[in-house]
Amino acid sequence: MTSDAASVEIDMESGFNTKTWAIRIASIGIWFLPLIWIDPTTYIVLTIAGLAFGMLLFMVAAGMTIIFGLMDVLNMAHGALFALGAYSGGYWILNLLEKFGWVEYGTAVQSFGSLLLAIFAGALAGALLGIVVERVIIRGVYGDHLKQIMITMGVLYVMTEVTKIIWGASPEVVLVPMMFQGSYDIFDVIVGKFRVVALIVGLAMFAGIQLVLMKTKLGLIVRAGVENREGVQAAGYNINRIFTGVFTVGAALAGVGGTMWCIFQEQVYPEIGLENIIFAMIVVIIGGLGSVTGSFLGAIIVGLSFNYVAFLLPKLAMGVNILIMATILLIRPWGLMGKE
Amino acid sequence: MMINDMTPVQRDRLREQQTKYNRPSFWIQVALVVVLILVPLVPSFRVMDMVAKIMIFTVVVASYDLILGYTGLLSFAHAMFFGIGAYSVALLCYHSSSPQWYHLILAVVAALTLSVILALVLAFFSLRTKAIFFAMLSLALADFFHILGMTWSDLTLGEDGITFSLPGILNVEWSGVNLLGVHFTPRVMTYYLILVAAVFLFMGLLRFVRSPVGRVLKSIRDNEQRSTALGYKTFRYQIYSIVFGSSIASLGGILFAVWLRFVDPESVLGVFSMVDYLLMVIIGGLGTLYGSIIGATFFMATQAWLPDLLKGIAAFFPDYEIIHRIAERWMAFLGLMFIVAIMVFPKGVVGTVREIIDRRKASGAG
Repeated sequence: MTSDAASVEIDMESGFNTKTWAIRIASIGIWFLPLIWIDPTTYIVLTIAGLAFGMLLFMVAAGMTIIFGLMDVLNMAHGALFALGAYSGGYWILNLLEKFGWVEYGTAVQSFGSLLLAIFAGALAGALLGIVVERVIIRGVYGDHLKQIMITMGVLYVMTEVTKIIWGASPEVVLVPMMFQGSYDIFDVIVGKFRVVALIVGLAMFAGIQLVLMKTKLGLIVRAGVENREGVQAAGYNINRIFTGVFTVGAALAGVGGTMWCIFQEQVYPEIGLENIIFAMIVVIIGGLGSVTGSFLGAIIVGLSFNYVAFLLPKLAMGVNILIMATILLIRPWGLMGKE
Repeated sequence: MMINDMTPVQRDRLREQQTKYNRPSFWIQVALVVVLILVPLVPSFRVMDMVAKIMIFTVVVASYDLILGYTGLLSFAHAMFFGIGAYSVALLCYHSSSPQWYHLILAVVAALTLSVILALVLAFFSLRTKAIFFAMLSLALADFFHILGMTWSDLTLGEDGITFSLPGILNVEWSGVNLLGVHFTPRVMTYYLILVAAVFLFMGLLRFVRSPVGRVLKSIRDNEQRSTALGYKTFRYQIYSIVFGSSIASLGGILFAVWLRFVDPESVLGVFSMVDYLLMVIIGGLGTLYGSIIGATFFMATQAWLPDLLKGIAAFFPDYEIIHRIAERWMAFLGLMFIVAIMVFPKGVVGTVREIIDRRKASGAG
């Protein structure tokens, strides 16, 4: 079976297929299209910003797509986990550390320390809420997509209000650690320092997820679970425990995403969860439900096009994402890397 | 034609026609309409305002029930269609210096055209694959329109919203008329306009779900494979339902804007207002249509009294600031109610009552 699939793939690779190559060249070439309207320096700035933005989107989308792939749960409450991560990691912890002078005027070590602590706190907050949501809410609605979407939307709604109770309804400023303030200037190309951090964290996260999924036994079980849940159960693994574990990890990733996002934007507000769940959803649909690599590609596509269009026609930035999603659904209804 | 020659559907319809005036539900409906006609006699604006909103949301929620309960599709774009209707009235009346009647008609035409096109596009893109795509795509589209309403401030005045005036006897400057000792103000005239439109639209929805198309929709919801095997094109019937339901929602939006004479993005286009709609549908009962009356009444009553109730409770604990903050966020309780309703009360009021009646009938017959 596996050898068959491999040989087919090899055939496809070795045979020079004009159509596939045309698509490949076109899909790379399309990213140079904005150069018609944007001068090269701005283009490079926007591209780096778009990549960083894409990495931030990937952090949210990754958890969502893994949870969907394994558990068949479309989790709108992911936005709530994201928002909680943003508030507790990015806002609360950094403000706390600022009292010790670590953040705004700290040394390099203190800056790195505060960022790591913030990420850790965000992940922890996301994971804790994630366990509660999975155990209390989602466990009752496995297998029923409509109910899942409705009930997790309800959770997102309630959590948005709870955020307002705890931290107030108005936007709050988020501090940026000393090391990551300002920007690098390389031959007039201005790159925000935190964008670089976002890029590194996003890439590390992608590599980490792939490593765990592909190289460890746990990853093997999770991948097998995506393919055939009953089979994994029959092999003697407690699928419920795996579900809770994966959900918690996904929730922690959302928390990290929230922390990174609010430091990147330098502000945080209660509706941040809803806004980002819609972004993440678009990314997940483009990439194909359940595929991490697909989400990675989808996030980059959305991040780049959002930044280009936001520069050229600010009002239509959100529209272009929907347009991309619609186009991809038209050509490949199951997404870039999804299963048919 | 003899009874025995008829198809089951024809027999059903005949029985329905014969017993039309003998059933209690018919007279309940007549009594309800009479009560609604008499409401403006109550000398309290708050009551009339609430009843008008209940009527509007009954129509909107019933049309949502058509899509969710009868067709089994979860749409997050219903608020968007509602908002399209509301904004089409508001924009036409605001941007024309003195609004005329034809502006209202134009608004209806514009709202219907736009919502039919959008519903078709949405259905075309999302229904080709899994049903959840419909939920996700509609959410993304609804969010786009919300952002558009907020940022396109040359047209929509952004977050501040639009206050506008209405033509003729609906305009606040019209002096009103005394008839049989009752003073008919422009507000009362608007109320009656909404009453007529709401009753008409609700009856249209009832007619739709009882039509052959409605029967097919129910069969698709209950067993899609079987309906397909019987030769019904699922896709086409789902499109009928989405387009019809969404158009009614946009008409509901027109009524809402006409009643308030004010629209803003948060109240008519906000994505989270979908949770309100869902709460109303679930409380009333999915797939019942009549449930939307109960759901809308429950929601409007809760919305009116809950903030005061919570403030009253919080007043007992003057020393605890956190209780006051919780009391301020009464919407969180609506959300909690929604979650609990899905978990423990998924059939809603009408669904549960029907189940009890059916069980009684079954035990009485057996």
